Amino acid sequence: MRAEARLSAWLSDLVGYLPLAILIGVLAYISLNAPNFLTLRNLELVLMQSLPVVLVCAGLAVVVMAGGDDVVSGGIDLSIPATAVLSAGITAQMLTLGYPLALCAVAALVACLVVGVINAALVSRIGMTPLLTTLAMFVAVVGVNNVVTASRRINVDHPWILALREAEIGGMPLGIVLVVMIVGTLFVAAHQTRWGLNLQAAGGSRDAAEISGINPGRLVGQSFVVAAVTGFVCGFFVLARGSGSSPGVQDNLMLEMVLATFLGAAFSPRRVVTLWGAVLGAVLVAAISIGFKSMGVNVFWTGLIKGSLIVVVVAFSAMAQRGR
Amino acid sequence: MERERLTLRHVVLRFGFLIVFAAFFVLFSVWNPVFLNGGNLLNIVEGSAILMIVALGLTLVVATGGIDLSIGIALDFGAAFAVVAMSGYGMGWFGAACIGVIGGSLVGLVNALLVVGLRITPFLATLSTFFIGSSVQRIFTNGGGPISYRRMPTEFRNIAQGDIFGIPSEAVIAAVLVVIYYIVLERSIWGRRIHAMGMQRSAAIVAGIRVNRILVLCFVTAAMTCAVGGLIAAANIRMFTPLSGFSYLLDAIAAVFIGAALHPRGRPNVLGTVAGVLFLGMVANGLNLMGLNFNTKDALQGIILVSALALAVAQRRARTG
Amino acid sequence: MAGITVTQAAFSLSDIVKIFPGVRALDRASLEVRPGEVHGLIGENGAGKSTVIKVLAGVCQPDSGTIIVGGQRIASATPAGVHSAGVRFIHQELHLVPHFTVTESVFMGQELHGSLGLARRKMRRLAEAFLRDNLGLDISGNRLIRDLGTAERKLVQVARALIDGAAKAVIFDEPTAPLANEEIEMVMQAIARLKAQGIAILYVSHYLSEITDICDRVTVYRQGRTVGVFDEISDASAGELIYAMIGREISDMFPNKGARATGEGLVVDGLSDGAHFDSVSLTVGKGRILGIAGLIGSGREELIDTIYGLRRKTAGSLRFDGETLQVATAAQAVAQGIVLVPRDRRNDGLVLPMTVAENATLATLEANSRAGLIDARAVGDATTALIDSLDIRPPNVDAVTRLLSGGNQQKVVLARWLAADARVFLFDEPTVGVDVGAKAEIYQLIEDLATKGASVILSSSDPVELLGVCDQIVVMMRGRVAGEVAASDVSVDNLVAAITGAAMVEGFANAR
Repeated sequence: MRAEARLSAWLSDLVGYLPLAILIGVLAYISLNAPNFLTLRNLELVLMQSLPVVLVCAGLAVVVMAGGDDVVSGGIDLSIPATAVLSAGITAQMLTLGYPLALCAVAALVACLVVGVINAALVSRIGMTPLLTTLAMFVAVVGVNNVVTASRRINVDHPWILALREAEIGGMPLGIVLVVMIVGTLFVAAHQTRWGLNLQAAGGSRDAAEISGINPGRLVGQSFVVAAVTGFVCGFFVLARGSGSSPGVQDNLMLEMVLATFLGAAFSPRRVVTLWGAVLGAVLVAAISIGFKSMGVNVFWTGLIKGSLIVVVVAFSAMAQRGR
Repeated sequence: MERERLTLRHVVLRFGFLIVFAAFFVLFSVWNPVFLNGGNLLNIVEGSAILMIVALGLTLVVATGGIDLSIGIALDFGAAFAVVAMSGYGMGWFGAACIGVIGGSLVGLVNALLVVGLRITPFLATLSTFFIGSSVQRIFTNGGGPISYRRMPTEFRNIAQGDIFGIPSEAVIAAVLVVIYYIVLERSIWGRRIHAMGMQRSAAIVAGIRVNRILVLCFVTAAMTCAVGGLIAAANIRMFTPLSGFSYLLDAIAAVFIGAALHPRGRPNVLGTVAGVLFLGMVANGLNLMGLNFNTKDALQGIILVSALALAVAQRRARTG
Repeated sequence: MAGITVTQAAFSLSDIVKIFPGVRALDRASLEVRPGEVHGLIGENGAGKSTVIKVLAGVCQPDSGTIIVGGQRIASATPAGVHSAGVRFIHQELHLVPHFTVTESVFMGQELHGSLGLARRKMRRLAEAFLRDNLGLDISGNRLIRDLGTAERKLVQVARALIDGAAKAVIFDEPTAPLANEEIEMVMQAIARLKAQGIAILYVSHYLSEITDICDRVTVYRQGRTVGVFDEISDASAGELIYAMIGREISDMFPNKGARATGEGLVVDGLSDGAHFDSVSLTVGKGRILGIAGLIGSGREELIDTIYGLRRKTAGSLRFDGETLQVATAAQAVAQGIVLVPRDRRNDGLVLPMTVAENATLATLEANSRAGLIDARAVGDATTALIDSLDIRPPNVDAVTRLLSGGNQQKVVLARWLAADARVFLFDEPTVGVDVGAKAEIYQLIEDLATKGASVILSSSDPVELLGVCDQIVVMMRGRVAGEVAASDVSVDNLVAAITGAAMVEGFANAR
């Protein structure tokens, strides 16, 4: 019986790697059919394209760490993309009104922090479920942003913002360097500090955390504020990518964020949402979008492909879990 | 909290939602007397009909302990199948309506397959269905252009624009569905089983409840219900507009959860959902009558939504202690 | 209390009164625990044990009474104050994060910092040393909690409470409830080590055999009052303790076995699940009670789940009175008259947020409905009758089951199946977490079922319970039936020896 158990554990480990293998297979298929795909220039494009999603995914990963990974009752923050768009909208609008960039950034940061604090208060103090809270906040924040921007596209050509897209540091694009630094900081905070361990404890077992003198409510609240800050930063990358703020960016950003983060969970051997998993998921999703585009696949099909990807990957991950 | 104290906080928490409902009602009536007009109140009910129907379907899925993010797709499919059946295949209004409902049920079947067959969590499963369904509509309509059918039979148009004894037919359809849903979900043995599995699935299994069968039925029924909403939408504007169902999703979720929060034990329930839908409908109508700019109205609506949900949840917690 | 000076006790509570709305939870209850002793606290559910612990923990403020910790009188205890006075609580639930390592769990909430972030290596060294030296568990600090056995997890939980080295008194609340027999020994040895270090230990448990084994002194509560403090504890004390606890004798716990019906009843033939047990055959005649004994991992739990259709079988069949039963799901089992009282009552037994009436009629909705609509009056009447016949308290059809005591929750599960009129009853650890009084009532109900002609299987880790209730006992070991014996032919000692594999005792016929 022991040998059988070991075999089935080994098999389920193998099944556990299937999600990643499938994605890599898809990428291999793309690179065979679109010869330009695997060039350094193109890979850089993929990374640049994925930056806004990487940022919001990192924020979401922190929230899920603190709240637990049950989608409905655990931690989730769907409002991050709306926060990002609000950050972009306020900055763009104030820039056109002639304010200096620093002041715009401060105003955007304050607005984003307000969103984060409201999320935190509603979840930790009033006890609303995060899914519901942040979905409602998504609607409210997008509504406020539409008032700020009057639902119009606002062009931005401030050199510092465009630098996020175009400048390079030591041969590496500035934007990528900045995002790597931000994600790296979050990683250290989450895995190498007392705060991070407590955060994970709160998400892993709320009761256990409480018994150990950790205040899970406060940590969950803090995670929403961290997420709002990633949304704030993301806003500038949204501005840089689109040369300004345009209405409707948030919907796609939200869907890609959820897709990438939970794809990331399927990669992790423990099947939990992790920071690196979410980031990897974001990059892979961008790679696949760009890859199919460079293969000449009609854009209308991308939703179909992404939807099927979730199904395949999550189904395999569910199978692997059942094998345990 | 051992002694009951009648502080302001206590009163607000205990009757909060009712007070807010009444406060908005008074505010809107004072601001614009047209609001109180019988015709306008009927407008609210009529304007809420599709949301009501979609929210009922969602209530069913949420009661099983799941969530359905693809209800908008089911609505779109309902409209698309019916319009194409009439315009492309010359079907009669009734046949087309049936085809629409069947088309919507496909969405529910896919959800059921993913959730029951592949054991994907409802959130991710229905999110995938949403992606796939949206994409299918774009492919089918070559990017999302509407399919219009001007010569729609009068009978079909009457699904939305007719009236029965002076009451708009879409309101009648919504009301009938409310009654049916209430009886099934709150008064029947199936409803009891649905609630049991929604609250504690493993205990429901041990009690001999066929949870998988219930899940399949609920996903399919919810999708069919949303497809009925799609028929009304198509009949209203005599066309199928791709991806229009999505706009109901957030409101429907809000209505269902406002409703659940109003229930003493936090269960999703039909009457609560009705209250939630009417509240959202009233706010939308009242803000319209205030003559606000479109963007301001949207923002206010969002803020009211967040506050109403927060109050409803806080109120339930205060009641259960 | 006379003759004991305050400084001798690690902590003491005297004349504590705590009144909840409508209930005197504690009515001049006292408790005194000395350094270097293991002090037992026993009593039925509702006797006030958990309330007194909450008072000591500072979670709940008493209406009157004195609390003295470490010689200091405490006016009002707060959780932080009690903790800094060196009193630690080992809760019944493990409260561990499955995907954390041993080290992370031990230091949860009290992580050590170096100049460069977390001192992970130091924490690991300290955690491993503490577990090895103080609790006798030699384990790598890098292992994940979810890969540990229950006893190991329990010790990790203990280490978390004690790692700061400031503990003077430790309260163990039902530490062995989820453990198998051989695992209990690990925890017992750890407690002995703590005692040797002069730490005062309060040991709260329903298991009298553990109390008599490990405790130096025992306090007994009944209805919120101290009814006795026993200074001399031996194996022979069990009877006295029970008498103090419930006011009657141990022999009254078990029902008299009545006359039994005859008939083939349930036959399990060569059942396997491909992993946990292999070709198990059992026969439970009508009106018979078959006990299944075995350690955790013997396949006992999985066997019960497979008979009930919760797990997939790979071979074998079920028959009842010669007719083959198709049971692939629990719903099919129920439809064919097989019902289960599951071991995990709170997750699998009851829909906790539902009321007594909703739970009790969940399997008999058809009978209580007209044209698919629930007949509220029929449900109420049926539930009231069940509440009366099972003495469920409070006798309120609309009480939410989450708020009932363990014994009453179990009765609601039973009520549901009594109403369903089943012919095969599977009981999996039916009395875990149930107080002595309710245990006796559940035993009587099982006996009544058999008298009425049902086939009953009782799977239990309590040998006394198996001997007291069953007609025949099957011992399972490593997924196979190791032997079968008539309950009247075997003693507790022999049964325990057979379960643990220590001996294949005379009287056991090898199954095959």
